Amino acid sequence: MEEQRLISLENISKHYDGVTVLDNINLYIRKKEFVTLLGPSGCGKTTTLRIIGGFETADSGRVMFDSKDISGIPPYKRRVNTVFQKYALFPHLNVQDNIAFGLKLKKMPKDEIARKVDYMLDLVNLKGYHKRSVESLSGGQQQRIAIARALVNEPEVLLLDEPLGALDLKLRKEMQLELKAMQQRLGITFLYVTHDQEEALTMSDTIVVMQGGRILQIGTPKSIYDEPQNAFVANFIGESNIFPGVMVRDELVHFCGVDFPCVDSGFGEDKPVDVVIRPEDILLVGEDVGQVTGVIKSVLFKGVHYEMMIDAGHSIWKVHSTTMQPEGSRVGLAVVPFNIHIMHPMEDEKPTEEKAQ
Amino acid sequence: MKLLKRVYLGLILFFLYIPIIVLIVQSFNAGKSRAKWEGFSFHWYEELIHDPNIMNALVITLSIAVLAALFSTILGTFAAIGIHAMKRRPQNLMLTLNNIPMTMPDIVTGISLMLLFIFTQVERGFVTMLLAHITFDVPYVILSVMPKLKQMNKHSYEAALDLGATPMYALFHVILPEVMPGVITGAMLAFTLSLDDFTISYFTTNPLVQNLSTLIYSQARKGIKPTMNALSALMFVALLVLLLVVNRRTKEEDA
Amino acid sequence: MTNFQVPVWGYWMMGLGFAAFIGLLIAYIRKNRGFRRPIFASPYMLWLVIFTVIPCFLVAYFSFTDPQGNFTLDNFKSFWDSNFNARKAMSPEDLALYESMGLSLDDLGLGRDSINIDTLVFSLWMAFLCTVICLLLGYPAAHIMADREFKLGPTLVILFVVPMWMNFLLRTIALMSLLEDNGLINNVLEWIGVGRQKLLNNIAAVQAGMVYNFLPFMVFPIYNVLNKMDYKLSEAAMDLGCDKWHVFYKVTLPLSVPGVVSGITMVFMPAVTTFYISRLLGGGKVQLFGDLIEAKFLSTSLNEWNVGSALSLLMMILILLSLGLLNKVDPEGEGGGMI
Repeated sequence: MEEQRLISLENISKHYDGVTVLDNINLYIRKKEFVTLLGPSGCGKTTTLRIIGGFETADSGRVMFDSKDISGIPPYKRRVNTVFQKYALFPHLNVQDNIAFGLKLKKMPKDEIARKVDYMLDLVNLKGYHKRSVESLSGGQQQRIAIARALVNEPEVLLLDEPLGALDLKLRKEMQLELKAMQQRLGITFLYVTHDQEEALTMSDTIVVMQGGRILQIGTPKSIYDEPQNAFVANFIGESNIFPGVMVRDELVHFCGVDFPCVDSGFGEDKPVDVVIRPEDILLVGEDVGQVTGVIKSVLFKGVHYEMMIDAGHSIWKVHSTTMQPEGSRVGLAVVPFNIHIMHPMEDEKPTEEKAQ
Repeated sequence: MKLLKRVYLGLILFFLYIPIIVLIVQSFNAGKSRAKWEGFSFHWYEELIHDPNIMNALVITLSIAVLAALFSTILGTFAAIGIHAMKRRPQNLMLTLNNIPMTMPDIVTGISLMLLFIFTQVERGFVTMLLAHITFDVPYVILSVMPKLKQMNKHSYEAALDLGATPMYALFHVILPEVMPGVITGAMLAFTLSLDDFTISYFTTNPLVQNLSTLIYSQARKGIKPTMNALSALMFVALLVLLLVVNRRTKEEDA
Repeated sequence: MTNFQVPVWGYWMMGLGFAAFIGLLIAYIRKNRGFRRPIFASPYMLWLVIFTVIPCFLVAYFSFTDPQGNFTLDNFKSFWDSNFNARKAMSPEDLALYESMGLSLDDLGLGRDSINIDTLVFSLWMAFLCTVICLLLGYPAAHIMADREFKLGPTLVILFVVPMWMNFLLRTIALMSLLEDNGLINNVLEWIGVGRQKLLNNIAAVQAGMVYNFLPFMVFPIYNVLNKMDYKLSEAAMDLGCDKWHVFYKVTLPLSVPGVVSGITMVFMPAVTTFYISRLLGGGKVQLFGDLIEAKFLSTSLNEWNVGSALSLLMMILILLSLGLLNKVDPEGEGGGMI
């Protein structure tokens, strides 16, 4: 596995005006992998990207590229290219010159540049836009040009800093698919920064969840969704019910006043834990057969499903279901052991509370 | 009421313009007397051209203005780019220092520079006047370039580096083209200010190297010659044209 | 004039300063592992130090030294004590003798040459008067032009700005030729039968020159603020029951304060420091603080230069204090934007 690591960050820390932006980050990225840094704004994901791009230097730690330390190498000597947040296209150059910018610097012959520019414009579905002024293009088109401008240099790694943030929802979804397809076709490593969990789940091979300058969890989209390591990750990725509980013994957890059988073990006996249950994993059953009973407080139609808030005495449960029960009715709730996920409680309580609202 | 307002504005503008208009009219008066109109003539303009003092001062004024504008534009544009990229605290320090020559009264700036030249035993003359002009021009260049830098996409420079440009290449091929309108405005402003300056030139030159302003001042104390009217009229028209051009540019940029 | 010798420590300071600058530059490049944009500002940083910071310190240095370079406070003492230099020139015995006879130095007429504090007070008074006149003339003008219904407003403002950009000297000379004994005004006065008057070389002429020169500086900032003001505010005020007069002093006037403050500074500062207006229109009979400073530096006596520096330093402090005050009232510089 070792030789597949293209980039690794070793103990990277960064402070800015006394504030810790990155706190001992360790991360590696494999060749041809689509890695997403996911987290709320201010979590340090963009700073991480900028350190890899060479626009900022870490206070301590090393950036390894192909097992060479590139920490002191300026951006223009790194074999990575970046797609910037608001595109950063050069307004005084037209589409063609924007894309050819990097190639001209490499003193590539003119006909080869022209060929590559044609190819890239083709790739991003903007054939024949050569002479257009970049300011006359729509947001989505500018985005494509920015991607073309970076990719034409055939970087080993493409860094993307919230590239779809400024686009509307529909266009964003289209571009997500296109980007993923492009990455697979070209076989280039992508390092993608976003705060949109859905975007991260759709596109990535590996998701790195960050918060407060630290990495909380690294894993595939599925493992992060199904087995979040703490309440913050559970809350940030998808929707969830998080209850404080106590692990009675292996495979039995107590929360909301009831003992629930589960499949997790190894937490010890009588230890405090966080319990996460996804809203779609909660079954609405008859009042008499439920593990918990409660009153439906509100019902919202969400298209595919209904979202119901159920008051079960001391806890509120969010339930997604395709069938609807009228407001005010009493229902029973049941969860199969497999769908109960036990996590260590977070040392840092604050973000949990904020997100739990 | 409306009429009253217009009359009021008219009177104030009259107060502002009547001296200038009278001056221009008199520059075409054939006779030497201010009291009598002795017919239209270019006599004083001819005399003006043949006055070696004035022509000499004109050459000095123009060359100082051109050189000061050139140097202060280069210095100021680079400085603006540097200051713009600084972190908050050094940036604030630089901007405060940069404000000093603009907020200080001209007489204090002039005197402090004079003391510098005397202290370092630099003979006052053309070069010292040029240095002084650059010093008071640069802040205005920075002031015109800065907003353009702020308007720029903050990642443009990084994007250029990312694509393999060295900082120098990025500066000349990405940043400069984008802020060029501000640079040109700054250069014109510097030129005009330099053309216009009296107080600072007065303290940083010697009596043998005179620009138009200091020449006018030294002659005005002896009494106004009609050639001065002609010179004033010419300078006024020249400045007016320049300012209209500068104004036009700023408007176009704002639009 | 050239007996100023750079002291040995002066050369050392210059050398050390330059070395420190180069050192800082290298350290900066090292620390950031390569080239960063703030480097582009370094030539100007050096320039600022040489041509702005050091000269300011030189003014301070000369203020606190005598021509021999020794520390002294005499330069400031002569500022408020008009007999200071005369007293210093006398031997203590003579002085004691005079005083025992009940004579003051004023009686001997020795202290007439330095009337520094009186000049400053007079300058402040002239500048104050000029500011008040400009405000009284300028505010209504700005208000009329900023009226949304007055379509000519924006054009007229440019007319106000144009003379502001004309060379001060030329404008002053233009006014001077108008006020001359055989100038236009006197011609008109004679023609209507009033007879020729002495219009030049008095305080009124200097005051007229100051107002004439600085009026645009008052009109422009006020116009700027009034023009930017949301007209819906006054509509809202009227909607809430204000009549036109109330709208003015409850809404418009308070909101235009930044412009007024800016205008006041922009008129007051140059008015305090001007020297050529009084020279040209006052004919040497009216002396302002600026004239005093200029006279000190035109003098060949070295001591006078130190006094002149002290006066400049006082002026610098005066200006900085006023600017500090301005920053408090108008931190955003809304009223500015002269260019």
